[in-house]
Amino acid sequence: MLWNRIKLDDFDFPEVVDYKKEYVEFNNLPKEVIIEKINKDNNPTVDNMDVIEYRGLGRKFTDFVEKSHNCGIYLNIPKYVKFDEPIKVNFRMDNEDSSVIDNNIIIVGEESEVTIVFDYETQNEFRGFHNGMTRILAKENSIVNIIKIQRMNDVSQNFDTNMAFVKSNGKINWTSVELGSNISGSSYTTYLNEEASESELNSIYLGDGARKLDLEYSMIHKGIRSMSNIRTHGVLMDESKKVFRGNLDFKTGAKRSKGIEEEYVILLDPNVKSDSLPALMCDEDDVQGEHAASAGQIDKNKLFYLMTRGLSEREAKKLIVEAQFKPIIDNIPIENLRNIINSEISRRLTNA
Amino acid sequence: MTKNLLSIKDLKVNIEEKEILKGINLEIGEGEVHIIMGPNGGGKSTLAYALMGHPSYEIVQGEIKFKGEIINDLSADKRAKKGIFLSFQYPEEIPGVTVEEFLRTAKTSVTGETQKIIPFKKLLKEKMELLDMKEEYASRYLNLGFSGGEKKKNEILQMSVLEPSLAILDETDSGLDVDAIRVVAEGVNKLKNDKRSILVITHYNKLLNYLNPDYVHILLDGRIVETGGLEIAKEIDETGYENIKSQFSYDGGQ
Repeated sequence: MLWNRIKLDDFDFPEVVDYKKEYVEFNNLPKEVIIEKINKDNNPTVDNMDVIEYRGLGRKFTDFVEKSHNCGIYLNIPKYVKFDEPIKVNFRMDNEDSSVIDNNIIIVGEESEVTIVFDYETQNEFRGFHNGMTRILAKENSIVNIIKIQRMNDVSQNFDTNMAFVKSNGKINWTSVELGSNISGSSYTTYLNEEASESELNSIYLGDGARKLDLEYSMIHKGIRSMSNIRTHGVLMDESKKVFRGNLDFKTGAKRSKGIEEEYVILLDPNVKSDSLPALMCDEDDVQGEHAASAGQIDKNKLFYLMTRGLSEREAKKLIVEAQFKPIIDNIPIENLRNIINSEISRRLTNA
Repeated sequence: MTKNLLSIKDLKVNIEEKEILKGINLEIGEGEVHIIMGPNGGGKSTLAYALMGHPSYEIVQGEIKFKGEIINDLSADKRAKKGIFLSFQYPEEIPGVTVEEFLRTAKTSVTGETQKIIPFKKLLKEKMELLDMKEEYASRYLNLGFSGGEKKKNEILQMSVLEPSLAILDETDSGLDVDAIRVVAEGVNKLKNDKRSILVITHYNKLLNYLNPDYVHILLDGRIVETGGLEIAKEIDETGYENIKSQFSYDGGQ
C-alpha cells in the first residue's frame, strides 16, 4: 500500500536509545503554560484526539512512536494566552543521540495563539534516524502555527506523522520544509471537526541525489463551513523520486465547506520521478473542492529571458527555484533558521 | 569611418525547420542608430532573437560577428556579457524575484563585479527617476502584474542599468502611450554615445520622431530589401507597406 511506490515494504526499526541533549528553547513563557519533556517515564494521556479515519505513514510507524519514544514535548496552553516568541524544538542526531523518536502533544486553549518550530538535523555524515508523531488539539478560536524543518543529511531516514484536531473557529497553519534524508516520509492530517474550523498547509520540498520522498497531506472536513488550503512547491533533480498524495475529504456534516489543493513541481533532470495523486472525496453535495497542479521543466522562454541578462543557465534555474521557495521561507519567524535553510537550498542546487 | 560593432553576413535562420531569415546582411558601426521596419511576419523579431541567441532559432548559414568575434555559437548569457542587450516585446514574469534583486544579480553577471547593495540602490534610484518610474517598482516582483507599458519601461530600465554596447529594442514602442514613448526615447538617447549603438525593431514609426536614426532598413520576407535614411520611414508612414510589397512581389511569407 502506502510504501509500494518508494519500495519500503520490509522495513525494520533500529534499536532506540535515550535522547540526552536539551532540545526545547523558549523565552518569556507565559506563566500558566505547562511545558514538559516526554520520555519513557513521562507519558501523558491524550484526550479529544480521536482519529476518525486513519491516514498517514501507517500504523507501524505511529505504534512504534507510542511504544518506543525517546523524546518529545507536552505543551498545554490554557485559554487566552499569547506568546511573544515562538517555541523552538531542535533535534540533532549524532554519535550521542543516534535516533529521534519524538512524541509531541500540544493542546492549545480557547482564544490562544502559539507558534512552534521543529527543526530536525544530523551532525556531519552521521546516519540519523527519525520517526516521530505530533498531535495537536486546537480549541475554539485558537491559532496554532506549526513549522517543521527537515534538513537531515543524505544517508539518514526520516518519518514524521502529524495530526491536528480543530474545534470551532480554530485554525492550524502547517509549514513543512523538506530538504534532506535518503528516505523521507511525512504526513499531515487535519481533522476539521467543528464549525468554521480552518487549516492551511504550505510546504516546499527539494529532491536531490537518490532521495525518495513520500508526502501525504489530508484535510478531513467534518464541521460545517470548514476551510482548508494546501499549497506545495517542489523541485526534483538528479535521480530523486517523489510521491505526493493530497486528500480533500468532505464528511457528512461538512456543508458549505471549501478545500483547495495546489501542487507545483519543477523537474530539473530527466531521470527524476514525480507521482501526484490528488483525491477529492465528498459525502456532502454542498461543498467546494478545487485542485490545481503543474509539473514540468522550467519554461524555456523564462530561462532565455534571464540568460539574456547575463545569468548562466544554471544560475537562471537556481534563481527560479529559489524564488518559488522564498515566500514560504520568509514566513519562518527565526532569522537564523531562515539563513540556514537558504544556504542549504543554495548548496544543494549548486551541486546539481 | 566609424568602427564596426556588429556585422551580419548572409544570415539564414530556421525555426522548427522553417526558413524565416533568408540571407540578412547588416553592418552596425559604433555609435550608430539603426531602425528595422517591416510588416508582421517578415522576420523582425526572429532577427532580434537570433542576435541574442535563443536556442530555438537555428542559424543554418552565415555569421554574426560582434566586436570582431563570431558569436554564432555563444549562449545568450555569453552574448549579454559581451555587451548585447535585448528589450523584449513580451517580457517574462518572474514571481519571487524583485526588480532590484534581479538587476543587481544581472549587473554582477554582466560586469563580473559584485554590486554592493547601497551604491546599487542609489544607481537604480537615479535610473528610475530618469524613466519616471515610482520607487516602489524596485521592490515589486519582476514584471509580475505589470501593465504592458510598465513592462516596456522596465526593459528600458534594465538597459540603462546594464549599459550594453548594442541595445536591440524589439517593438518597444508598441502598447505605449505618447508620454511613455517620449520617456523611453529619452532613456535610449541617454544610453547612446559614440561607442554604444542602438538597433530598433518596429512595426510603426512612433519612436522614430524622438530618435535620430542613421539608417532605416526595410525587412520583408526574411530579407532586407531597402536601406536608406529617415525618408523611407516617412514614405511608409504615408503609403504603408503595400508599395514595397508589390515592388518586391512579396508573397506574404508563404
